[in-house]
Amino acid sequence: MNTITLHHTLPRVFRGRTDIQSDIWQQEVTFERGHLYLIEAASGTGKSSLCSYLIGYRGDYEGTMCFDGHDIRELCTYDWTVLRQRSLSIMFQELRVFPELTAWENVQVKNQLTQYKSDAEIATYFETLDIADKRDTRLGHLSYGQQQRVALIRALCQPFDFLLADEPVSHLDAENTRVMGELMMAEAQRQGAGVIITSIGHHMDLPYEKVFKL
Amino acid sequence: MKLIWKLLRRHLSIGQLVGFFFANLLGMLIVLLSLQFYEDIVPAFTGEDSVMKNTYIIVSKHIAATNALGGEAQTFTAADISDFESQGFTRRVGTFTASQYQVYGSLSMGGMGMGTEMFFESVPDDFVDTKWPASRDGEVPIILPRSYLAIYNFGFAQTKNLPKLSEGVVSMVQMDLRLRGEGGREVTCKGRVVGFSNRLNTVLVPQAFMQKTNAELAPNAMTEPTRLIVEVKNPTDDAIATYIQDHGYELENDTLEAGRATYFLKVVAGIVMAVGLLISALSFYILMLSIYLLVQKNAEKLQNLLLIGYSPARVSRPYQLLTIGLNALVLLLAFALLFWLRGIYLERLWQMFPTLSEGSVTTTVLIGFALFVIVSFFNIIAIRRKINRLTPRFKRLKGGLYRTINGK
Repeated sequence: MNTITLHHTLPRVFRGRTDIQSDIWQQEVTFERGHLYLIEAASGTGKSSLCSYLIGYRGDYEGTMCFDGHDIRELCTYDWTVLRQRSLSIMFQELRVFPELTAWENVQVKNQLTQYKSDAEIATYFETLDIADKRDTRLGHLSYGQQQRVALIRALCQPFDFLLADEPVSHLDAENTRVMGELMMAEAQRQGAGVIITSIGHHMDLPYEKVFKL
Repeated sequence: MKLIWKLLRRHLSIGQLVGFFFANLLGMLIVLLSLQFYEDIVPAFTGEDSVMKNTYIIVSKHIAATNALGGEAQTFTAADISDFESQGFTRRVGTFTASQYQVYGSLSMGGMGMGTEMFFESVPDDFVDTKWPASRDGEVPIILPRSYLAIYNFGFAQTKNLPKLSEGVVSMVQMDLRLRGEGGREVTCKGRVVGFSNRLNTVLVPQAFMQKTNAELAPNAMTEPTRLIVEVKNPTDDAIATYIQDHGYELENDTLEAGRATYFLKVVAGIVMAVGLLISALSFYILMLSIYLLVQKNAEKLQNLLLIGYSPARVSRPYQLLTIGLNALVLLLAFALLFWLRGIYLERLWQMFPTLSEGSVTTTVLIGFALFVIVSFFNIIAIRRKINRLTPRFKRLKGGLYRTINGK
């Protein structure tokens, strides 16, 4: 997948509103593989909705969204499964991790599916993000910031053309934010992937090529 | 798979599964047991007989003290026979031919000899269901009632300390026959028992042999038959019983009773089986409700798995395997219980019907497997459909608008 394009899209809840001032909604927008984007949003502007549309979880919008020119509404369940395994990695704002599994198992749930990273590579990620000692702790017992780091490792355990990170560092300190940014960019560059990061304020200090106001 | 199972087994209700397990086991066992019991017991009534079909009835005239003394005819006249033939329920009528001479049969086994006065009868060859088995040269093939052997084995041999004889042993022994007719005419020949019948209450020889010996030994005797063999269309037909009663005839075997008994047995077995199937169906619902509840409780987890790239097929699999496993366990346990119970009732049955041959279990086993396959198939489909509903699908509406089906 090389491009994600939005043709005049708008969440259906905003329909009829005339005061929308957005770089994304009701615009022609193209995200390209290999580039880094930041979407800055105020609360309630539809940031999480945008992510839900792109991952195929919701479809309550007007206009069309296309992957490589194909309307994503035409995709079947199987297409989405393949996309989520091979082309599109997402780090959810609400994390969508499994509290009853350990940190390590949470990553393995994904990696066993994709067989993308070795155990050693994953262990290195744990070390780098300073949660190596939490490996075998049940995720439910970790802080939100620690869970965010586990969610990032999970998101990196797959091949992707685009990495979509929805407020990835909302609960991290400056040092961890920096480390996380480095890890993400290193993997994205290795894969030649595009990265789309959203934020409602506090965000990673990265060389964004384009910044959208939602 | 292990991790997925660890996630998805949450909220699994052991109580519900145990409930399903026993309900399904009960249903399955009732279905299989009623089927098997029917298979096993029906031969006791219908007496599936290698010699005589169960659509044959044997008719004689009623013997009462008065007509025995008064000399009223107990034989069937040509008019009686043609009247019988003209009845709607009749397919064809044959007559029994009795030997018009005395028969003395003896056999010797291992230096021990036994002999008895006896008689022969014959019916037209096409009434004997199987062809007369080929007998060795000059031997007269004989078909004995199975009850004779039972009387000997359980009555006579037991009290006299004589060896019990199996059908196989009896068939191996050659019999010496001495036939003595009018005017001291005598014929000796060899005979051999070639078969046993549950239904024909006579010592049967081939029609041709009977005609030949009667002509030779009693050329002047001409008698009318005392018994008829009738092939009917449906032995459970009420008209037969009425006709026979109206004409003062008697049925010599219990085909009609057996026909009715079989019919009722079929009805009862059918009702019991239906109850079993109903219980099975209800237990199927318990399982489905339990799994639906499980899917509902784990919906968020299932959805997360789908969103990180698991296919619906893959997340359905643990639940599908669980149900197949349970169904297989139920099937195996039902088979085990079935064979155990069958052992118990067969023992009782054999005490009542010593000659009863064991019914086949093939049908029951096949039906059991068929039920397993059908139920598992529907389980698999239902689970998959339920999981599929967790994945959002979009539908193009008129005017280019879209609506999300399920999902948010």
